[in-house]
Amino acid sequence: MLVFKLMKTPLYILLVCGLLSVLSAVACTVQKIPSHEIQAQEINKTLMCPVCPGESIDQSQHPLASQMRGVVDEKLEEGWNGEQVRNFFVERYGVRVLLEPPRRGGNLLVWIVPPIGIVMGMLVLYMVLRMMTRPQPEGELRASRVDLTGPERETYFSLVEQALLEDVPPPDQSSENSSTEPEE
Amino acid sequence: MIVDAGFVALPIALLVCVYVSVASLIGAWQRLPSLVLSARYGLMTVPILLLISTLALVSAFVSHDFSVRYVVENSSLALPSIYTWVALYAGNAGSLLFIATIFGLISVVAVVGLARKLPYTAPYATGVMAIVLTFFVGIIVFLANPLERLPVPALDGQGINPLLIHFGMFIHPPVQMMGLISVAIPFSIAMGALLAGRGGRDEWVDQGRFWGMVSWLILTTGLLLGSWWAYTILGWGGYWAWDPVENSALMPWLAMTAFVHSIMVQKRRRMFRSWNIILVAVAFTLAEMGMFINRGGPVPSVHSFAQSTMGWLFLGFMGLTLVASLVAFAWRLDTLKSEGRLDSILSRESAFLTQNVLFLAVAFITLWGTIYPVFSKAASDVVVTVGQPFFDRVNGPILLFIVFLMGVGPLMPWRRANPRIVAKILAYPMVGAAITVVILWVLGVRHPVAVLAIGVCVISVVGIGHEWVRGVLSRHHKGESYILAFGRLLAANRPRYGGYVVHLGISMLALGAIGSSFYDVQRDFNMGIGQTESLGRYSFTYTELLEKSLPDREEQTARFQVSQDGRRIGTMDAKRTFYLDHRVAATRAAIRSTPIEDFYIVPSEFNSDGRAVFRVYVNPMVWWMWLAGAFFIAGTVFALWPRLHTQDKQVPKLRNHVSSIQK
Repeated sequence: MLVFKLMKTPLYILLVCGLLSVLSAVACTVQKIPSHEIQAQEINKTLMCPVCPGESIDQSQHPLASQMRGVVDEKLEEGWNGEQVRNFFVERYGVRVLLEPPRRGGNLLVWIVPPIGIVMGMLVLYMVLRMMTRPQPEGELRASRVDLTGPERETYFSLVEQALLEDVPPPDQSSENSSTEPEE
Repeated sequence: MIVDAGFVALPIALLVCVYVSVASLIGAWQRLPSLVLSARYGLMTVPILLLISTLALVSAFVSHDFSVRYVVENSSLALPSIYTWVALYAGNAGSLLFIATIFGLISVVAVVGLARKLPYTAPYATGVMAIVLTFFVGIIVFLANPLERLPVPALDGQGINPLLIHFGMFIHPPVQMMGLISVAIPFSIAMGALLAGRGGRDEWVDQGRFWGMVSWLILTTGLLLGSWWAYTILGWGGYWAWDPVENSALMPWLAMTAFVHSIMVQKRRRMFRSWNIILVAVAFTLAEMGMFINRGGPVPSVHSFAQSTMGWLFLGFMGLTLVASLVAFAWRLDTLKSEGRLDSILSRESAFLTQNVLFLAVAFITLWGTIYPVFSKAASDVVVTVGQPFFDRVNGPILLFIVFLMGVGPLMPWRRANPRIVAKILAYPMVGAAITVVILWVLGVRHPVAVLAIGVCVISVVGIGHEWVRGVLSRHHKGESYILAFGRLLAANRPRYGGYVVHLGISMLALGAIGSSFYDVQRDFNMGIGQTESLGRYSFTYTELLEKSLPDREEQTARFQVSQDGRRIGTMDAKRTFYLDHRVAATRAAIRSTPIEDFYIVPSEFNSDGRAVFRVYVNPMVWWMWLAGAFFIAGTVFALWPRLHTQDKQVPKLRNHVSSIQK
C-alpha cells in the first residue's frame, strides 16, 4: 500500500505535479517547425475560406483554401507582414474573409460588449452578495415575531395541523442530513 | 400498411397532446383529481402513438418504400442497409419525429416519478411537458410529416449526405437531440413547482436536480461525441471550431452546468430559489435556440444539413417560452423568498454564484458572437464573420478562470470561511501549481499562457486530490483501513464525490485542449509512393495505395509504415472516399492516439500515380479529452445512484441518541 503511505505526506503533491508536468513537457516540446511555417499557419487560422462558411483556410480541404495558403506563403516570402497579407484578402473578398472582425469602426462593438458584460455581471454579483450578507435590521426581526392570544394560538395550530394532514409527507430529510461530510 | 398506421397515429397524438396540456393544467388549477389523472394517462399514450409512427418510418426505410417522400429524400437503394436506420434522423421531418418520440418517452418516465414524489407540482409539470410535445407534434403534422406519400412512387431515392455515412452518425445526432430536448424536463419540473406556488418549498429540488443532471450528462456526451466525430472524419485535425451549431449546443450545456451547481445550494442551504428557476428557464430557451439554429437558422454553418424555414417557428416558440416563464415567475414571485441568508462573501455559496455568473457570461458571449453577423448585416449591410480566433480570445480566459474556481470553490466551507483557513486550504494547490510551472519551465515549455493554464489545471487536480486524501486520512485515523476508508468516504456523500470525479474529467479536458491548441504541429507533405518523410518524433513511409471501386463510391487508401524515434510502430491507413452521385469526398484520417500525443495523417486528392498531399498533425494530449468522457459518465452516474438503504441504519441510531440526550 505504498500509494496510501505516500498520502501521509504532502509528497504525493510533488508526485502528481511531477507526473503532470513531465507528461505535458514531453508532449509539448519535441516538434521543431521552421518559424516561417508557424507564421503562415497563424495567418491561415485567421482567414476564412470564402466558399466554406466558418472554416479557416487552415482547416479547409477545398482547392480555393489550398490556393489561398499558397498565396499566404508567397506573400510572406516577399517580406509582407501578417497585417498586409490579411488586408490583401480583405480587398479581394471583403471583410467577411477575416475570422475575427477587425477591432475598429462599427465592428468594435463585437469586441467591447463581452468585457462590458463581464464587468457588469461581476458588479451585479458583488452587489447581490453584499445585499444577501447584510444582517437583517433589528426592527424587522421584531416585527416578524407575532404575539398571539390564546384563541388565536389555537386556530393557528389547528390550521398547521390541517396543513400537515393535507400536505405530502416531507422528503426524507433525515437521510440527507445523516450523510455527514468529513470536515475537520 | 404500417406506414398508414403511422400516418394516422400522428394527428391522434397531436389531439392527445392538446387534451393533456389543457386537462392537466385545468385539473391542477381547479383541483380536479380525476381530470389530472386522465391527463396523466393520456400523456402515457403519446409515446406509444409516436413509436408507431417511428416504427412505420423505420420499416419504410428498411423496405425501401419509395412512395414515402421522406424516404426518397433521405435514402437510396445503394445506401448500406445498416445506414437506413440513421436515415431516420438525417432530415428535418424525421429528426423532429425522433425528438418528439424521445421526449414523449422521457416525459412519461419523469411524470411517473413526479406523481409519486411531488403530487402538487406534477399536474402542472405534466401540462408544461404536454405543451412542448404539442409544439413538436404540431409541426410534424402540419409542416413536416415524414410519412407523407408522394403522388407517384419514385424508383430510387436521392440518398443522404455522404458525410453522414459514418459510425458517429449512429450516436452523435441522436444523443445531441436527446440532450437538447431533455432540458425540457427540469424546466417543466421547475415551472410546475412555480405554477403550483411551491417554488419556495424546495421540494422540487431533488427531482429537478436529478433530471438536470441526467440532461447535463446527455448534453455532455453529445458534445464530446460530436467533437470526436469531427476529429476523426472531417479531417482538419481539430475537434471544436466554434461553429454556430456547435455554439448552439454548447450554450444550453453551459446554462445546465450552472443549474446543476446552484441547485445544490438550494438543496443544502435553501437559497437561490428564484435564481434556479431563472437558470433552468434560460437553459431551456437556449436549448430551443440550439434546435432553431440547427433547423435552417439565420447563421451559415457546416452543420446545416437540414435547411428549412420552420426555424422561425422555433424562434417564436422560444420567445413564447421566455415570456411565459417570466410571466409565471413574476406572478409567483412572492412564493420564492429565500430562507437562508448569506453569512459571508467568502463562502462556498458565493463561489457557486460566481461560477454561475461566469458560465452564463460564456454562454452569452457565445450567443453574442454567434448572432453578431446577423446584426451586422441588418444594421450596416456589412457581412462579417465571427469565428474561432474571436471565441478563443474572449472565452478562453473565462473558461480558464472557471477551471481555477473548480479547484478552489469546493474546498470552501459552507456559510462562512475564515480567511486564514482559506489560505491554508489553498496552500497545497498553489504550491503544486508553482512546482509544476517551474518544472515545465526547466523542461522547456515556455509559452506563458500555456504554462499558466497547465498550472491552473494542476490547482484543480491537487485541490480535489487533497480533499480525497484528507478525508481518507481522517477516516484512517479512526481505525478504518485505507481502502475501506476510501470507499466509505465516497459512499458517504455521493453527490460531492461524484462531482469531484466529473471535475477531474474537466481538468483532463482542459489539459487536452491546452496541449492541442498551443502545441499542435501540422505540416503538408507532397508524397509519392515509396517516399519517406518525418515530423517531430515520427517518420513515415508511404508504402502503397489500395484502390477499391464500389457502385456508389471509390475508396482510396494510402498505407503508411510509421516509426517513432527510429522504432517501428506499425502501419496506418489514411482513407479518402469519393461519392459519385453526390460528387463529395470524405476523408478518414489515420490516427495513432497515445496519452502523450496523437499522430494524425489526412489525405487530400490522389493523382493517378498515387501521389498526394498529406496533411500530418501531431496533436499533444488529445487522448485525455476522450478519457474525460468516461469520467463524466462515471461521476454523474455515481452522484445520481440511489442511496443504499443499509446506510440509513444510522438514522434511527442517531434519533435514539438525540432522544436519550433530551431525556
